[in-house]
Amino acid sequence: MSVYERRDSLPIPPKDAKAQNTVCQYCTVGCGYVVYTWPVGKSGGLSPEKNAFGVDLSQPQVALEGLCYTESMHALIQSANGQHMNVAIVPAADSPINLKRDHSSRGATNALTTYSGARPTRERLKTPLLRVGKALVPISWEEAVAVLAGVIQGVSDKFGPDALCAKATDHGGGGGGFENNYAIGKLFFTGLQMKNVAIHNRPAYNSEVWGSRDRGVHELHYTAEDARLCDTLVLWGANSYETASVFYTEHMLPNFQSQTQAEKKKVFSAGEPLEPMRMIVVDPRKTSSVAIPQSLAAERVLHLRPNLGTDVVLTNAVARVIWEKGYADRSMIDQRSDTTTFADYQAKSLMTETAYAAFLAEAEKITGVPRADIEKAAEWMAKPKSDKFRRRSLIIYEKGMIWNQRNYDTIAALVQMAVLGGNIGREGTGCGRQGGHQEGYVRPGYPGVRPPPNVDKYLMEGNGKFYWVIGTNPYLTTPRSQQFRKSINARTSALTRAIASAVKSTAPAKRVEQVLSALASSSGLFMVVSDLYLTETARDAHLVLPAAGWGEMNLTSINCNSRLLRLYERFMDPPGQAKPDWEILALTARKLEEAYTKAGKAEQAKQFSGFSWKTDEEVFQAGAQEFPDNTLDEKGAESLPCETYKGVTYALLRSLGQKGIQTPVRKDPATGALVGTPRRYGKRFGTPDGKFKWYGTDPWSGFPAEVAKYFQGGKEKTYTFWLTTGRNQHIWQTGYHDQHIAQKMAAVPLPYVEIHPEDAKKLGVKAGDMVEVYNEEGSSNFQVHVTDAPKPGLIFALQYHPRGTANHLTSPYTDAKTTIPWYKGTRVAVRKAPSPATKVPATSPLAGNHFR
Amino acid sequence: MSFNRREFITVAAVTTTATGISRTALAQLTERKYPVTKIAKASDLKTGEPLSFSYPDDNAPSYLVKLGRPAQGGVGKDKDIVAFSSLCTHMGCPVKFQESRFVCPCHFSQFDPAVNGQCYQGLATEYLPQIRLRIDEAGDILAEGIDGLIWGRIENKS
Repeated sequence: MSVYERRDSLPIPPKDAKAQNTVCQYCTVGCGYVVYTWPVGKSGGLSPEKNAFGVDLSQPQVALEGLCYTESMHALIQSANGQHMNVAIVPAADSPINLKRDHSSRGATNALTTYSGARPTRERLKTPLLRVGKALVPISWEEAVAVLAGVIQGVSDKFGPDALCAKATDHGGGGGGFENNYAIGKLFFTGLQMKNVAIHNRPAYNSEVWGSRDRGVHELHYTAEDARLCDTLVLWGANSYETASVFYTEHMLPNFQSQTQAEKKKVFSAGEPLEPMRMIVVDPRKTSSVAIPQSLAAERVLHLRPNLGTDVVLTNAVARVIWEKGYADRSMIDQRSDTTTFADYQAKSLMTETAYAAFLAEAEKITGVPRADIEKAAEWMAKPKSDKFRRRSLIIYEKGMIWNQRNYDTIAALVQMAVLGGNIGREGTGCGRQGGHQEGYVRPGYPGVRPPPNVDKYLMEGNGKFYWVIGTNPYLTTPRSQQFRKSINARTSALTRAIASAVKSTAPAKRVEQVLSALASSSGLFMVVSDLYLTETARDAHLVLPAAGWGEMNLTSINCNSRLLRLYERFMDPPGQAKPDWEILALTARKLEEAYTKAGKAEQAKQFSGFSWKTDEEVFQAGAQEFPDNTLDEKGAESLPCETYKGVTYALLRSLGQKGIQTPVRKDPATGALVGTPRRYGKRFGTPDGKFKWYGTDPWSGFPAEVAKYFQGGKEKTYTFWLTTGRNQHIWQTGYHDQHIAQKMAAVPLPYVEIHPEDAKKLGVKAGDMVEVYNEEGSSNFQVHVTDAPKPGLIFALQYHPRGTANHLTSPYTDAKTTIPWYKGTRVAVRKAPSPATKVPATSPLAGNHFR
Repeated sequence: MSFNRREFITVAAVTTTATGISRTALAQLTERKYPVTKIAKASDLKTGEPLSFSYPDDNAPSYLVKLGRPAQGGVGKDKDIVAFSSLCTHMGCPVKFQESRFVCPCHFSQFDPAVNGQCYQGLATEYLPQIRLRIDEAGDILAEGIDGLIWGRIENKS
């Protein structure tokens, strides 16, 4: 009867089951988990002294307090020596992040993502694969590395380092972490001097928040506690209930429901008013992140729904109100900011030369947000609580801002609005990213320029000879991915055909020779993909390398809400011959060192030295040397890179367990002790003189040509909808693991669009129907959800899904200052499409944003 | 396998291919006895007004509801009568029935009773455990098994 297979009992870990700490492999929140492993055939008992949980299992658990051990948290795995093991991955009881063992539907399925020959994860890559014609043939690591290093060396020597291209992960959490990121940076930047490197989904090597960093504010500086302490919480282009669920339910919502008053009393100054928290959500959609607080206390929720691409104008408008109404924090401006840059900000961003009424009328016209709401937002964010006390507003932003048009100016506008209102550096304040994934960045400097080259474009125009894709799937995730896919496929196919007409042997030396000669005489591209699964991109690769995943290697990462550094312990063997990325990179580097040494090129060989790591911790420690000296007092530490962990060891992290340590970590000059950083910028900003740097925005000039074209020459009659995109609560990114989890695929069997009831009526579609969404960039098919989440005229599409991607439709526009695309806005046409032959089973037609 | 009127042996939907359960583990999981319990008369149910009951024992709060739209596993003339454990599969809070859906007041997970108790939005992973129903000749609705683990238990049977 169930649409997926259910269980009505779970195995009990015996007292001597191995228990290890880890952190969820998925989102930015970084919930703590404990992993129990024990042999099949052994079982614990119901009494607390007979099971590893130490819990009385004869009685039902108490809601919100007890052990959370549900069906998806257990699986069977096999060790490399063939022993069958139980694995239970349950929310940790002592995590400062996921209090009360809270967890999301992403983390609750960590156990189901483990490799097993008897479950759908059997699809994991197990050996290196070499393309021979249409087939991918299993080969040894020795041969794979010989081919890889041979082609890299040949391409670099023959065509120069700019012919070497890559798109690689740079994040924390599963598959990433400081260890893997450092190895990638060391080989690409120090070893190969590569400029044509792009970061996972993006077309270039950039920061998404240079607009903030250039002001002296690293985007990760607040702490989860600030969401519990703020007077006003602002979610700007972030739907945290859906995409940072446990941060929302354990830290934001308790404050909104006035459950954190005692904590506020401890921190607030004597006499400071304790008001119920207000919430401002800036999002074109009515997501659950706004519908939930509205269902609890609508009068304390303000929802602003700007027209797509106009957030930069809205942000500066709120800032202008803060300035005009006298809510600005004068002491912050005078004492802690670079006042020589303030006039430019005043003139261009606040536009103080323009009369207030005329300025707001124009802002209302562009953004579609009523003037009264703009003024209310400014009041809720920055109007002091009394003569003596400033409000404490925490402003959290994410992809709605970052992946907007004019990335640089948009982010700069937001952090400046926050600083203008004094909302940084104190408890309950901040202006930082929610984050998508966790972080773990440590690398030698990128050798390219800023703004960085658009590597997608470079490849699509026929440049580059070698393309290494690590832990990402650009066929789904890069902008305008349908055209990208066609272009890369044409180039990789051209090379495959050219090799096929050459010698047939796959012996590495022969193969390298064939590849290099074919690359010289064709438009071909040699593509290498390292990943967990044979992704859409990997299917076109010439060489596929099996990577180890979360739990199959030790990893370290930080989360975004608290910069909390913890150790993600290895608890099982990787499948087959799979290896951690850092090891694959090191093998390649050592082969290159050997080859250049053999060729008598000692200088070049030297570039590849220092890759002789034996363990993950050796890589972690090698990465630590990239950070500056961190023997500093508290004030001095404000200038440290966000991730600084110099001095931290795996042993320390093991002893700290779920408690972790917040980066940047400094070594106290007086005591020598390692000290974490709960919150930043209380005393100085991250600039050489410690002062915040203001910036004047470019004037509003409408939409970029790549999108404006849809309003011209009759196209406005065809492309009548705005399209925006985002994630689904249950699915992590492209669904690389989720597509193997039955309950998830039954709930989200297809990529979908949200369409307003009025538009659905006009289009003649109902919930469950299929539509084709298309424009001049590409097309994609989606299942219809009818909901009032988007306004009429706006369609929301699930960003990625194993069965399709909304990025087929993204425009090729990127911000000239950062090379960041506008993923979240373009124009499209919609037509009703015939539904698939089989009815899609078991998908709920109910609207997710409806709570009462 | 034998059946009698009072006690059924229910075969839980667990196979080696899908969950990786070994033969020994399978033996523990595949056969489970559930009581057959009368809940209500089908004719007494009003659309949209859920009825509380406890199943399979006295400490397992559950809802019986006539949805007014056909449901996965629904019984009755309109195939719209379904029953679920009313403990949220996320952290065990009692869910509420509102406007044809179950909503958890603690973390706002939402479940569609017409679609196997699917959590279509929220923090819960597992769908609400659905109670198997049958209507006998007298028009009595009988509960006779559960698909899914009731939150907070190591096994459904107490």
